[in-house]
Amino acid sequence: MDFSQQMQQLFTFNNMKFLFSGLLTTLYISGVAIFLSMIFGTLLAIFRNMQKGILKILATIYIEIVRNVPNLLWIFIIFLVFRLKSTPAGIISFTLFTTAALAEIVRGGLNGVSDGQKEAARSQGLKESQIMLYITLPQAFRSMLPAIISQFVTVIKDTSFLWSVLALQEFLGKANILMGRYAQTGQVFMLYGLVAIGYFIINFALSSLSRWLSRNWAKAY
Amino acid sequence: MLYLSTISWLQEGPFALYRWNSLKEDLPLFFHAFLYTIGISLGALALAFVLGIFFGILSATKNKGAVFLSRIYVEFFQNTPLLIQIFFIYYGLPLINIVLPVYLIGILCVGIYHGAYIAEVVRSGIGSVPRGQSEAAASQGFSYWETMFYVVLPQAWRMMLPPLTNQLVNLIKNTSTIAIISGADIMFTANSWSSMNLNYVPAFAFAGILYFILCFPLAKWARHMEEKNKKAYSR
Amino acid sequence: MKISKKIMLGMLLSLSLITLFACSKKEATSDKSNDSSSSNSQIQKIKDRGVLKVGVKEDVPNFGYMNPDTNKNEGMEIDIAKLIAKEITGSAKNIEYTGVTAKTRGPLLDNGEVDMVIATFTITDERKETYNFTTPYYEDQVGFLVKKSDDFSDIKSLDGKTIGVAQSATTKQALEQKAKELGISFKYLELGSYPELKTALTSKRIDAFSVDKSILSGYVDKSTEILDDGFSPQEYGIATKKSNDEVNTYLNKLIKKWQKDGTLDKIIKKWDLN
Repeated sequence: MDFSQQMQQLFTFNNMKFLFSGLLTTLYISGVAIFLSMIFGTLLAIFRNMQKGILKILATIYIEIVRNVPNLLWIFIIFLVFRLKSTPAGIISFTLFTTAALAEIVRGGLNGVSDGQKEAARSQGLKESQIMLYITLPQAFRSMLPAIISQFVTVIKDTSFLWSVLALQEFLGKANILMGRYAQTGQVFMLYGLVAIGYFIINFALSSLSRWLSRNWAKAY
Repeated sequence: MLYLSTISWLQEGPFALYRWNSLKEDLPLFFHAFLYTIGISLGALALAFVLGIFFGILSATKNKGAVFLSRIYVEFFQNTPLLIQIFFIYYGLPLINIVLPVYLIGILCVGIYHGAYIAEVVRSGIGSVPRGQSEAAASQGFSYWETMFYVVLPQAWRMMLPPLTNQLVNLIKNTSTIAIISGADIMFTANSWSSMNLNYVPAFAFAGILYFILCFPLAKWARHMEEKNKKAYSR
Repeated sequence: MKISKKIMLGMLLSLSLITLFACSKKEATSDKSNDSSSSNSQIQKIKDRGVLKVGVKEDVPNFGYMNPDTNKNEGMEIDIAKLIAKEITGSAKNIEYTGVTAKTRGPLLDNGEVDMVIATFTITDERKETYNFTTPYYEDQVGFLVKKSDDFSDIKSLDGKTIGVAQSATTKQALEQKAKELGISFKYLELGSYPELKTALTSKRIDAFSVDKSILSGYVDKSTEILDDGFSPQEYGIATKKSNDEVNTYLNKLIKKWQKDGTLDKIIKKWDLN
């Protein structure tokens, strides 16, 4: 079979739609995971920043354990221990892992807010919780947004594990399924190429945004 | 004894005691996997270092072509999943008659992937050294690469060390990806062993501990260095 | 005032998430207590729910396959699932499919994510200790998919070669036994899914891809063939939870009925099997 025939076989509307639906799954899972992680990560960062107490200890233990063990292992553990379907198992394992990573990013952001700001707020009679919500977090968020977006890129990349581990049909998984059907050399190379380009376009756009923000926006104040 | 026997989850189910016992018997298997992971990590680290320093220095030159080349390298590998790179080399390359063994694929792919991250660390490390230093070196007749290796990098080293160590932690964690192409590392051993006897909990708990032993001290040390640097420079 | 609303919303959201996690855990534990009593009818539960939850393969053409052309599940096992759904809920449409692999089907069944698994699940004595199986709806044997250009003729010619098998499948044990009988040896490579195994064969990572012949038949193309030699008869049964005999008895009756009246044969013919 010559190359153009191979490509004709591969580039049908249905195959492309099939592949694209995998890309949407990838984005959906990463999106939900990063959103949940931002909430839990912020809570965890605040806990870890406390002076003392059980919450600080728990948050520290969680972050250290989760961050120092591979993501892939968490996917296995979440799936085998909680025995969930692949989509919730995927979302939860990425949330679990990304929460720890984001907690450290948020903590860095919180610590970067100058004490003068907080003191000024205190002198205005704001409570500590109010200071956190209205003064510290908004400023910290601004400075840590680039890092959060980079983490988003990491999550999108790592969701590619989900096919081989959980049979979740994300972007790379769909390509793998198609490869079972279209196994000619040219077709296999083309499929890897397509998937790599798909990931690259999205991630490059995000990394560029992250870089642009850190140059022009994060340090604006 | 009577009390113990009433704790049913110690007798049966995923947490049962006998499952931990069978782990003890197969400990050599895991020990071998542990060494395999360390081996791959060291190989990949060496490669990542060479590539990272080379492309990092390249990206600090004034030569537009060189900068562009190193951008392509960094952007491509930072923005595509490691697993695709591994799949491509594992499944794709044999189609054009290039068949590499799994451990070599692990070292190559993880090394090249993290080389891209280290290149960025090196680039910003070079940027942190005052320009006067390299100008002074150049006036002494040092070539560009000599300036980098003898003057700039040694000074940037202290700033670079914490992020480099963090990269090493990520690198060790990412070697687990080769479990998917059945490399005999910790992750694969835990998975393959437990799918035979269903001892998931001990297998993955133990695998987690092994990775933790490797990663935690490094991560801790990196943070310690970072704090020290911060203090030293904020004076 | 505006902002305090936001805080409330945020707190509510995180609270609801935490409870969500807690609930899913509770569900899992209460599920277990249900098992031991098993007094309430599981079939009735499915009827009330109106949807049959079935674990099926998505990468095995002719058995359980997610067809890229239609984006729908299809295959003989899907047809059986439809028949069961029709029997229980009154319509073949009331099915919720969950894609499974050899690795994931057991845990999903344990947790009650699916009511039953119809996914080329081979009945073995070992597995019978953990799950209930119906009488077999299909019989098969383990075979080998090889490249035509390699000129393998039978099992013996594969002596010393690398055989690719799926993780968590029974194939490896069966192969080891057969190899011992024949006095030959194999090297093994375990991968996560069938498409990956097929790609491994194409790229010569493995010399033969070994799994049940029927599964292999979905992966034959111009350059590959299935060896005539097969071994180790494999019987596929519908798996349900061990703790609940009721569903199993019910399904057994159905399968036997369909075996007698030729419904099963028709399905098997429809998908060109045997």
